[in-house]
Amino acid sequence: MNKRHKRSQLILGMVIALFLAFPFFSNFYWIDVAFFFGVYALLGLSLNIVLGETGLFDLGHAAFYAIGAYITAILNTLYGIPIVWLIPLSALCAGIFAYIVTSPIIHLRGDYLCIVTIGIGEIVRLALINNPFGLTGGPNGITGIGRPSFGLFAIDTSIRFYFYVWIILAIVILGLVRLQRSRIGRAWNYLREDEIAAEMSGIDVRHFKLLSFVLGAALAGVAGNIYASKLMIVSPDTFTFMESSMLFCIVMLGGLGSIPGSILGAGIITVFPEIFRVVANYRMLFFGGALVLAMIFRPGGLWPRKREIAIPNVRSAEETEERVRPVAVDQTRTTARQSVNGEASSFEKHILVTDMLTMKFGGLIAVKDLDLVVGHGKITSIIGPNGAGKTTVFNVVTGIYKPVSGKVYFEGKDITGFKPHKVASLGIARTFQNIRLFPGLTCVENVMAGLHHRMSSYVFSSIMRTESQILEEKWAIETAMYWLDKTGLAGLSDELAKNLPYGKQKLLELARALSSSPKLLILDEPSSGLNDKETEDLMIFLENLLDEMDLSILLIEHDMNLVMGISHWVVAMDMGIKIAEGRPQDIYNNSRVIEAYLGREE
Amino acid sequence: MSIILEQLLNGLTIGSFYALIALGYSMVYGVMKLINFAHGDLFALGSYLGYTLLVWSAGAVSQRFGLWGGMAAALLFAFFAVGCVGVLMERVAYRPVQKSGRLPLVVSALGVSIFLENLIMAVWGPRYQAYPASVVPTYTISLGWFHITSMQLFILILSFVLMLILYYVVQKTTFGAAIRATALDKEMATMLGIDVGKITLFIFFLGPALGGMAGVMNGMYYRQISFVMGWNYGLKAFTATILGGIGNIPAAMLGGLLLGLVEMFGAAYISSAWKDVFTFLILILILIFRPTGLIGEKVAEKV
Repeated sequence: MNKRHKRSQLILGMVIALFLAFPFFSNFYWIDVAFFFGVYALLGLSLNIVLGETGLFDLGHAAFYAIGAYITAILNTLYGIPIVWLIPLSALCAGIFAYIVTSPIIHLRGDYLCIVTIGIGEIVRLALINNPFGLTGGPNGITGIGRPSFGLFAIDTSIRFYFYVWIILAIVILGLVRLQRSRIGRAWNYLREDEIAAEMSGIDVRHFKLLSFVLGAALAGVAGNIYASKLMIVSPDTFTFMESSMLFCIVMLGGLGSIPGSILGAGIITVFPEIFRVVANYRMLFFGGALVLAMIFRPGGLWPRKREIAIPNVRSAEETEERVRPVAVDQTRTTARQSVNGEASSFEKHILVTDMLTMKFGGLIAVKDLDLVVGHGKITSIIGPNGAGKTTVFNVVTGIYKPVSGKVYFEGKDITGFKPHKVASLGIARTFQNIRLFPGLTCVENVMAGLHHRMSSYVFSSIMRTESQILEEKWAIETAMYWLDKTGLAGLSDELAKNLPYGKQKLLELARALSSSPKLLILDEPSSGLNDKETEDLMIFLENLLDEMDLSILLIEHDMNLVMGISHWVVAMDMGIKIAEGRPQDIYNNSRVIEAYLGREE
Repeated sequence: MSIILEQLLNGLTIGSFYALIALGYSMVYGVMKLINFAHGDLFALGSYLGYTLLVWSAGAVSQRFGLWGGMAAALLFAFFAVGCVGVLMERVAYRPVQKSGRLPLVVSALGVSIFLENLIMAVWGPRYQAYPASVVPTYTISLGWFHITSMQLFILILSFVLMLILYYVVQKTTFGAAIRATALDKEMATMLGIDVGKITLFIFFLGPALGGMAGVMNGMYYRQISFVMGWNYGLKAFTATILGGIGNIPAAMLGGLLLGLVEMFGAAYISSAWKDVFTFLILILILIFRPTGLIGEKVAEKV
């Protein structure tokens, strides 16, 4: 570890030395190429936030670049505002523009979002050509833009521009690396890997998608400012769909979400055509072919991100447990629970109540007038044949669907129609029938998703690495490790979730749900795909949890041994309605339940 | 009245180009869930191939078969040649990337698009080329105040016939049902014994082939062709695809015709400089309020 660290530092030092020395061994032509390399690296990194980190298909990113360049050009030529002051202003305007145009479309998925961003890119370009209010100079653009200067030191030569852009880039890279390894960066990655699982883990999808667009656009705006001051002219032909596609290719060539990858991609895009200048007419032909080949042989990019997370010094087990134990066990409650054990009818406190809950899909009534009560500190099971509407109940309770009518109360509070991330932050965590993990992230990162809504660091504190942010990160990692340990995945913290076998994936999902210290844990067929031994372990695990934590459990299950073995209360559903409920043994003998499963006896 | 009718005709003519190109987008999206960014360039390629057949043979084709015969030859040539290029494109650039997910596929499509565009430029040069008047029939048919050029009439009839045939094949035949099944659920279709490979081959032949044919028609209609035209038409046709509802073949036809009309009337009665802005605004509004297009059906995501 240490040796590797030293070596990477050495390589970094050499790269920096090379960049410092480069202009003194080169000519102006190549210094300018290196300048544009820097600008495209900025642009690539800005798109990487949106496309790479968050997985939003943005094929109109040149629009934000254009906003930055034109704001700089207009304010500098009309009002003489110095270029350097316009850097933050360009970023701000591009960010605000991104917020306004992406707000109404941010809910669109995949290809639809991609198409809309193409539309936005084209609208911006066409608007610039049409010269609104005489501001943009039409097809010819704006000329006579000034140079940046710091006091008397003007950035006016190729060499100075070269250092200017690469120093800005270095600062940006530092900020982005820190952002990537923070709560914000992880939230973006969760969205990219599985939006619904992210939302159910408490991540405000809309907020973090918008944040990624706004930050990406702001950075593109900075690149626009630098570009405008170098060329001293801006015109609409720079900001075409082709430009947006090139940025897209930069990120994809480098590797999604990889900072060095985006820089490498930018290098390829800018340097490749220069090397092939001798075959000027064919160079883009080769380039197109090279893109195809790159995707055939390196679909993950040339320099994909290695996921690793710095594990803080290992503490003794008890110490960790003390620090990260989510909710102290309330002994009085435990004894109270034990005293009513077996007396299902004497539930005094209900953690979850649904009142006449109804859900329809088109003409199909999936759930009808369901009254469901989940006792505090109890395990409640929903059983029923396939298609009975069990998972739909879960989806309505957790906010994935909005019910047609009826109410959901959690701890006495009406939560009907709450968004999933809101429901999650109130203390409901769930697992899914078909496992929904974040496949490309490590196990520890998967578990940390559950901690997201209990953390508070944001963009500024993450970039500045404030003390509270560092402490919070440490706490999050330790808590995640605690839950990995608890679910028997201790040795796998750095393994990617997708590489885990099925049973371990189920455990990981459980660890993620538990890490959020839920008050109500909702499990959708926890034992499916597990063998008898594993199912038994799961039963013991769940029962122990109930003793250790202030927790209630609602589960859907087909394994009757499990249901009858651990449930305090069982609800049977068929065709969207509740057909029976009661203590396990009563349900086991209930004629309507038997009929629902086996059909009517002739 | 006659002006409105003329706009209507112009709109429908452009709309049929969009519709023919849109079909290719929609079909490919159906089987591969890929926005084939190279499709517009295939359209441009068709335009150039038709041009080559008519012009480089020094008018020999037109002299031997007559004007209409020459045109038919150019259309057929573009149809088959571009269809083959489409199949080749799928084999070389898409199939090997498909398993890696959708993003690499998008980049591959962009790569093919850049490749084709620059191939056209390398072969035919960067300047505009013109279909000469001598190879294109140019009568005008007049019925009182109503005028229509023979070319317009031909384009409208041919594209409607093509669309009707395609509509029939896709909606009424077993093979069409297999195509629709593949578009809905490829895995399930495979398990039901549908030869998805064959369907993919067919789609990647027919989609580009129709686009190539539209390219020739477009060249004959406007007479001027350029290597960058693919992108513009591609984008418009693609908008049309979304307008109708992507992945749905009749929807693509409807979307194309509708977009042609919107554009023509937008340019005539609102502003010709801002007409493309309107087109894209419509696109965005449709995606916000009816993301499945005008006649697409909503698909609920399974949780």
